[in-house]
Amino acid sequence: MALASVLSGECADFSLDFRQPFGHNCGPGQSGAECDAAPGDSVSFSVKNPMLAGDDDGVERKIEFLHGTTTLAFKFEHGVIVAVDSRATAGSYIASQTVKKVIEINPYLLGTMAGGAADCSFWERLLARQCRIYELRNKERISVAAASKLLANMVYQYKGMGLSMGTMVCGWDKRGPASCTGCCLKMGSLSTCQLIDEVEGAAVGLHHTPLRRQDSAWLYYVDSEGNRVCGDLFAVGSGSMYAYGVMDSGLRQDLTVDEACELGRRAIYQATFRDAYSGGQVNLYHVHSGGWTRISQEDVLMLHQKYRDQA
Amino acid sequence: MRQGVVYINTNFSSVSGFDAERDSMRTCLLSPLPSLPFVSSQPVPLPFPMAHGTTTLAFVFQGGVLAAADTRSSCSGLVACPASQKILPIHSHLVGTTSGTSADCALWKRILSRELRLYQLRNGRRLSTSGAAKLLSHMLHPFKGTELCVAATLCGWDDHTSLSGPSLFYVCSDGSRLQGTLFSVGSGSPYAYSILDQGVQWGLTVAEATSIAREAVYRATHRDAYSGNCVDVYHVTSQGWTRRTREDLKEEYYREKESRRQTHEAEKKML
Repeated sequence: MALASVLSGECADFSLDFRQPFGHNCGPGQSGAECDAAPGDSVSFSVKNPMLAGDDDGVERKIEFLHGTTTLAFKFEHGVIVAVDSRATAGSYIASQTVKKVIEINPYLLGTMAGGAADCSFWERLLARQCRIYELRNKERISVAAASKLLANMVYQYKGMGLSMGTMVCGWDKRGPASCTGCCLKMGSLSTCQLIDEVEGAAVGLHHTPLRRQDSAWLYYVDSEGNRVCGDLFAVGSGSMYAYGVMDSGLRQDLTVDEACELGRRAIYQATFRDAYSGGQVNLYHVHSGGWTRISQEDVLMLHQKYRDQA
Repeated sequence: MRQGVVYINTNFSSVSGFDAERDSMRTCLLSPLPSLPFVSSQPVPLPFPMAHGTTTLAFVFQGGVLAAADTRSSCSGLVACPASQKILPIHSHLVGTTSGTSADCALWKRILSRELRLYQLRNGRRLSTSGAAKLLSHMLHPFKGTELCVAATLCGWDDHTSLSGPSLFYVCSDGSRLQGTLFSVGSGSPYAYSILDQGVQWGLTVAEATSIAREAVYRATHRDAYSGNCVDVYHVTSQGWTRRTREDLKEEYYREKESRRQTHEAEKKML
């Protein structure tokens, strides 16, 4: 098992007898823990999934909002802005107002945290380890696509076992979309152009320019269901809907770095204003060609004063 | 032959001898409404799950009350009607936004209009928004615990009362009745709230307020699957309510896309 090999120690054997502990057997009308034992069958437990049983009226919500937090990230011309809140809740108790929800995987990769705090921080630290191993083996940085895929594959092995994680992997790498300056388009085939590139020289008198790899910022959303999606804009958590409204309305490609930071900050602030499970401080990061930079950490209540005075 | 009677509690009837008159109230309020059991029996399950999918919003500002809503009626995954009316005028100075089960909202709005008209005829003046909200809330109370689902905001302008001016109340079938300056109801409401919280203040002009309301509904329809199609905007002032032409948000989407494309092109040219 993956976990055992990583920890290289003995761990409990979560064998396949532990059938469908969450999700499928749950629904309104299911009591706490039921034990179904049929003759000749191994015992299976159906436990009420604490994530699904959100409401007392027993209605099973189809849309599950990831847990109390607001994290967002968006791409713009000068890189990626990552903004998160810093509140951790246990039910209605605010456990902490100063949680770090952005995990610095390495100097050019960031991961955000939403869902179970333990799951997120463990798996992202594991990811950091894997990224470092890749770097040492291959003598080059890992691409964001590969890093996010590593994470997605790692958690996919635990699908259905109750991991709760909704994270965004953001970084900058040289593995951008290969763009040919146009000659292969004239010839009608990308592969022909590549062939010429490897051969290192114009063969048969054909005009060519080598494929240029662009530097680019990348943003991937990875969650514990196994989803891995590349995109320009994501918000994760219970406050994500509030953040989407602000981001959609303010996002343009030609934002300056300061405007983009302000947009991210405002989006988190609006989410903390309406969502009870988000709050604390707004932590802001900017990912650019030189890696990531921590821009600011501002208390949401201070922002409230600031925006009220501005208005 | 009387099928049965729906007992509607009116709280503003003549104070003296209210109890004695209750029976006569009961008889005169009898109407061709379906009879309902007083004892709540097993609730009949809905034939299909109704999604309370909508985005409606309303806020108070110096120019009166502005109410906006999308126009999509959905039944689970089906868009049952892309052009429904979610803001229903109740009388000349009161509109109500609706959310929840469309049928319930439409019916109760009509009942409310009727009761308010009766009040006006009996007492020679319009009932305040606060009173209308209280009336609606008390009318819905006997149905608490049943499948009835109405979440409405009543937006009105009050005259001739001690608190005259714009007024906004949120009334819900689970019993809430709240006064406020800004409400948004429905599945798309979080998206709308963040836009409204940023921009709504008392001192807005009518044009600015309309623009914020439209933007909020547009952003909500962009992200929420159960909201969409067009946007209706109603404005209530001391002269009564006025309605803006219904606007298709698909056009707004293309306009925005086009303007973004143009700025992108202009930028590329500059570089």
